[in-house]
Amino acid sequence: MLSKEQHQELLSRYAEAIIKVGLNLRQGQRLIINNSIVRGVPPAGRTLALAVTKAAYQAGARYVEVIWGDEEMNRLRLQHAPDDSFGEYPKFHVSAIMDMVKNGDALLTISANDPDVYNGLDAARVAALQKAHLENWKDISAHISRNSINWCVVAAASPAWAAKMFPGLNSEEAMAKLWQAIFETTRATEPDPVAAWSEHIKKLRKRADYLQAKKYSALHYRSPNTDLTLGLPPGHKWISAQSLAENGVVFTANMPTEEVFTLPDRFRADGTVTATFPLSHAGSLIEDFSVTFENGRIVKVHAKRNEALLQKLVDTDEGSTRLGEVALVPASSPIAKRGHLFYNTLFDENASCHIAIGRAYRFTLIGGEELTDEEFISAGGNVSLNHVDFMIGSPELDIDGLKEDGTREPVMKQGEWVIEV
Amino acid sequence: MTETEFDQMLGKYADVVVKIGLNLRKGQRLLIRAILEDAPLVRKVVESAYKAGAVFVDVAYTDERLTRIRLEHADPESLTEVPNWILTRFEEYYQRMDAELAIASTDPELLSGISPDLIAKYRKAVSQKMEPLRKYENSTNWCVVATASPAWATKVFPELSQQEAQQKLWNEIFMTCRIDTADPVTAWSDHVQDLKKYRSYLNDQRFAALAYRGPGTDLTIGLPEKHLWQGAEAEFKNGITSIPNLPTEEVFTTPHKDKVEGTVTATRPLNYLGAMIEDFSLNFANGRVVSISAKKGEETLRKLIETDENAGRLGEAALVPNSSPISQRGILFYNTLFDENASCHIALGNSYRESIIGGDDMSDEEFEAQGGNKSLVHTDFMIGSNMLDIDGIKADGSRTPLMRSGEWAVEV
Repeated sequence: MLSKEQHQELLSRYAEAIIKVGLNLRQGQRLIINNSIVRGVPPAGRTLALAVTKAAYQAGARYVEVIWGDEEMNRLRLQHAPDDSFGEYPKFHVSAIMDMVKNGDALLTISANDPDVYNGLDAARVAALQKAHLENWKDISAHISRNSINWCVVAAASPAWAAKMFPGLNSEEAMAKLWQAIFETTRATEPDPVAAWSEHIKKLRKRADYLQAKKYSALHYRSPNTDLTLGLPPGHKWISAQSLAENGVVFTANMPTEEVFTLPDRFRADGTVTATFPLSHAGSLIEDFSVTFENGRIVKVHAKRNEALLQKLVDTDEGSTRLGEVALVPASSPIAKRGHLFYNTLFDENASCHIAIGRAYRFTLIGGEELTDEEFISAGGNVSLNHVDFMIGSPELDIDGLKEDGTREPVMKQGEWVIEV
Repeated sequence: MTETEFDQMLGKYADVVVKIGLNLRKGQRLLIRAILEDAPLVRKVVESAYKAGAVFVDVAYTDERLTRIRLEHADPESLTEVPNWILTRFEEYYQRMDAELAIASTDPELLSGISPDLIAKYRKAVSQKMEPLRKYENSTNWCVVATASPAWATKVFPELSQQEAQQKLWNEIFMTCRIDTADPVTAWSDHVQDLKKYRSYLNDQRFAALAYRGPGTDLTIGLPEKHLWQGAEAEFKNGITSIPNLPTEEVFTTPHKDKVEGTVTATRPLNYLGAMIEDFSLNFANGRVVSISAKKGEETLRKLIETDENAGRLGEAALVPNSSPISQRGILFYNTLFDENASCHIALGNSYRESIIGGDDMSDEEFEAQGGNKSLVHTDFMIGSNMLDIDGIKADGSRTPLMRSGEWAVEV
């Protein structure tokens, strides 16, 4: 176990990497730290928020604000508030973030969520709470989707999350182990984290560039319980680690990140895909599930646990019946090699090939930021309140790239890249 | 106390806060202002509020450590930056007359060592941004309570370990808030009746001034003609009556902003925004501070008084007997909510509108013409002791002994 001082040192290095690589915070920028699902950063994110705040001011931030939230309170609300009250939503929270977005400020999300926080609660009440959140958050999601500002999502260990990941350990040991996993996967343990990130970002960009040059018209996924063809629209753009925000800042939106991703054609998905990891959604775990598509549309879902919640997710709006992201991650990614589930998308999506139900990021279509919703949809882009990733990668998964002329090239075999870059 | 017993007491405390402190109504929303260390009580209050029929409870948590980090590391020029939503967050609730709970468990030493200039600059920017909220004063049921946060508890009981200090401070809170009684609701209702008797007596007397005498103190505080004594219970514009401070032992009104003369010496240290001011005296002429002295924190005191034009005038005079249960604890709490209920006190800065008859409906100019004080600050400091005498002086010059050796000298 790390000493207190060692932990503090790693936390400072992690915070510095977040400010320099993740957000690439500019001198004089303001920074807001939030967690939209919890309606604020949970108290467990406090030590990281403090370290990031310090690093931000040292980098010349003009103002740093943290909006705090508490999952336990949301749970109490779901248990005790009147049925018809879940539309209540404080306006300030949306206007606070929108003010920052319009001002070109930076946004950091600290995830420390308990993957199972709403376990056992009424699915209809949870869905009502979730829907009010998504509707209120619509404008902000749209700005994030077009990279209006430099933004980043990172994680902090929390006791509930750590306990879920390491049920055999006591709380202190589990927390230490989760922090260690966070520090390692975000390269805070490297001698020079900023240099290590720049190396890593270069490698990912080469893969994205290779796929971009191929201009595949579809990807075909096969494994013992998956046979799925996903169309890729003309103009799809493969993205990795770094992006350029409309405020002119080059940033890295996720730490860790191991994926290259683009958007699928919302009208072209056919076949069945079986998830390879449980999905933590709306505070509960959906487990052992599969999804069947016809002409891009989800026509059937099946789950051994929390099928109702998965169905509610798909029923949110028309866009939630379709896909908005396809991402490739080798089964040997450093996060996958750790050999344990994180029950947290930020990590699990970087351990596995995945697809996302719902909204496509505008920046994954060439010129997508400039299109109206209707234009984006006709170009194959998906519009939805949701964007929920789920994992489909494994060492048994093969993926082929299909060209316009029907020729087929292997992209991944048994979960690993077969392309050389 | 075992963990289970503590949990039960905390639940009982939350119920008292919701039922008596806020008198929360079914269908009301509730906004809670708290620091992260208050979470154990906050969660109990959230549960209790929903069970009482709240439609929505929102918590505006702050991490006070972030304030210190900002003052230590940010470019001093940027300290005037206050985002607009800090204001709109509260306005959203105040406009709808939702209930508000504030939890005051601040680390008394939070900002110790930070330059008073920086603190004043930061504080002023926040106060100015929040100024529009003044118009909502008393529009809605609100309440201030405290939790035994680690930093505060270790300041009060420095000889104890953090855990022991917190346990001891929790006991003090439960005791002074009557949570340890068999029936807190009845205990509070009896106590409120007692305080209201003194309040009625003082309102009937129509004193023109109060004369204070004690070691280092010889002060005359003129009262506005239309002054109104308040205490214990308050009735808000949304029609709800509640007890806005738990604990509370005081009756108070506003001095006339132009009619304070003489010298007053504080009997307890003042914690102002995380910095300590100790052993201090103030001289007044025509209502205004003309000179100050302090053995510690004089610069902080000066900055406080210089915040704006009227920060050097008084906005509150409160009477608390030296035998008050909180005073009898013999503990210096470094927290106004407790210390002000252990001692007679006065406040620099803003007057409460309800301290003047009809004050809520007056324009700023009318309120000031009646003797009310308008300022960005309202900072209480303690002047009571067992050596303090107070007389009430009527318009005709006749004097009535109000307090002798720190105790009430009138029968009510």
